[in-house]
Amino acid sequence: MADDGSSATRQRWVDEARGFVSRDAFVSEEIFRLEIERIFGRCWVLLAHESEIPEPGDYVVRDLGGARVIVVRDGEIRALLNSCRHRGTELCRADQGNARHFVCPYHGWSYRRDGKLITTVYDRHMPQDAAFSELGLIPVPRVENYKGLIFGCWDADVVPLPRYLGDFAWYLDAFFARTPRGMEVLAPPHRWRTKANWKLGALNFIGDNQHVLTTHAGPTTLDPIRSAQAGLFTPGKDSVQLITDEGHGCTLTYLKEDLPEKYYQTHAPELEPLYAQTLKPDQLAMLRRLRVAVGNVFPNFSFIEATVGIGQKAVIIRQWQPVGATEMEILSWVLAERETTPEYKQHVLKAGFRLFGMAGVFEQDDLTIWASAIAASDNPVARRYPFGFQTALPYLDHPATDFAGPGRAWRPIETEVVQFEFMRRWERVMLSNR
Amino acid sequence: MTETASDRPVSDADYLTLQRFLNHEAALLDHRRFDEWLGLLTADVIYRMTLQVTRDAARPNDEYAIIDEGIDALKMRLAQIGTPRLTHAENPASFTRRFVTNLEAWYAEAPGEMVARTSILVHRRKTALPEGGFYVGERRDVLRRGEEGALRLARREVRLDHAIAFGGPVSTLF
Repeated sequence: MADDGSSATRQRWVDEARGFVSRDAFVSEEIFRLEIERIFGRCWVLLAHESEIPEPGDYVVRDLGGARVIVVRDGEIRALLNSCRHRGTELCRADQGNARHFVCPYHGWSYRRDGKLITTVYDRHMPQDAAFSELGLIPVPRVENYKGLIFGCWDADVVPLPRYLGDFAWYLDAFFARTPRGMEVLAPPHRWRTKANWKLGALNFIGDNQHVLTTHAGPTTLDPIRSAQAGLFTPGKDSVQLITDEGHGCTLTYLKEDLPEKYYQTHAPELEPLYAQTLKPDQLAMLRRLRVAVGNVFPNFSFIEATVGIGQKAVIIRQWQPVGATEMEILSWVLAERETTPEYKQHVLKAGFRLFGMAGVFEQDDLTIWASAIAASDNPVARRYPFGFQTALPYLDHPATDFAGPGRAWRPIETEVVQFEFMRRWERVMLSNR
Repeated sequence: MTETASDRPVSDADYLTLQRFLNHEAALLDHRRFDEWLGLLTADVIYRMTLQVTRDAARPNDEYAIIDEGIDALKMRLAQIGTPRLTHAENPASFTRRFVTNLEAWYAEAPGEMVARTSILVHRRKTALPEGGFYVGERRDVLRRGEEGALRLARREVRLDHAIAFGGPVSTLF
């Protein structure tokens, strides 16, 4: 679909008065190119979990703003553009592995794991003053590890990661760093491609609590999931959706009040003392009775902490990697606390991907619907009519006053206020010209 | 599961029986006759589907499961995609065509069990789209004779050759 040629930066896409967002934001290649520059070139983006590369030399190849980067453990964890400085060949052609050096298969240029060029093989024919120190692999200028979550950013001047995560770190700690040894990725991530814009995933996870019973009529009504999670799909009254000033948000869905007592044991009892060692009392209080937490760290790092049985919680990381305006590659990891038994981990892994893996019973319907939304929107007629977020409007200026956790929060959870706030945040980042 | 072809290849008669069984169950899935297909499984069936992780050549490629289910969850999955009001991925239903070839088979160590290795090519087209996509892989099945002598599927491992699934999430069984 050709764009009309008007500069994307002169436009506004979010109509704050009427609760609309332009469909162009979801189908325009011009806007996508601007996203690659201003969102994925400037924001901290999740690259990996440290447990995926435990040993020196372990690496995974991941996407950062459309560029493939090698995320390697070399003392500290580094990220390097996966492209030889000579003719551009990929140094690593596997998804993951272990390397002493990175050797180009074309002419043999070799690099240390920190990216420094060791030899071009024909060093003796290089000019006397060749600056070898400037011919190393292109580093991702900023790589930081937040409690096992490895982030990278192409902008050397980005704020430090803890400041970027801001108040939302309080929630990330409760989901990803709640035992002394932390979380562990249980298997390589599922990867699949879908013809949908990456923001549909981010919006769905940051606060789409209207879709659950319509989109997911299958798994929410069929055994064994229905009977294993009786009453769990009806949210408790104190359930809340929230977003922080940094644009990171989530929905905390609590169990309703009248379930049999056993359902309130939402995580394994043996983890309780470990949580108590690691978390603050208010974080621990949040985790109790929590049926599911679904959220998104701006721009494209989503997560779910889901009850998958009595006393069993799976933590899933989901990433929406943009491929184009109308295509994304999705990665999905399942994690559990390192301290749990191998049997518990196996159970959580299977249950996690049964629900949310690439053949997951929830996933297959979400993705079909998102692709359908994009297919029906990517034409000149549909693009004149924006997407509606009207149920945000009555709530925007009325956050809950009795919510103690970080962020601005709203009840009930079945409005689009946090989704709309995400789009407002997205627009601010897109329009910031520095 | 027995991983290598044993020195006990099945008889020609059993080979034909297996071929007939595999063709029949593929046709049941192609035609969305899911209840009849479920009737061909043992109560202790294990059904796995895996994708590949590409590793450097020093280590073998390995696989990770995207489906790993017993009979109850299989019934749920097929009830989901077989009931129009409970599925979006399969409503309208997609057209699927399973090509099951290159059958090799041998007797397993457990009495009454046979192992069948096949190549599969599955074409799937969503009704709204002009063209579909292919899944390619290898299947390793364990088949067991029930009390009446009829074959039942006791284990299936579908090893897809793909590293990234092209067509979005997998909602069908192979």
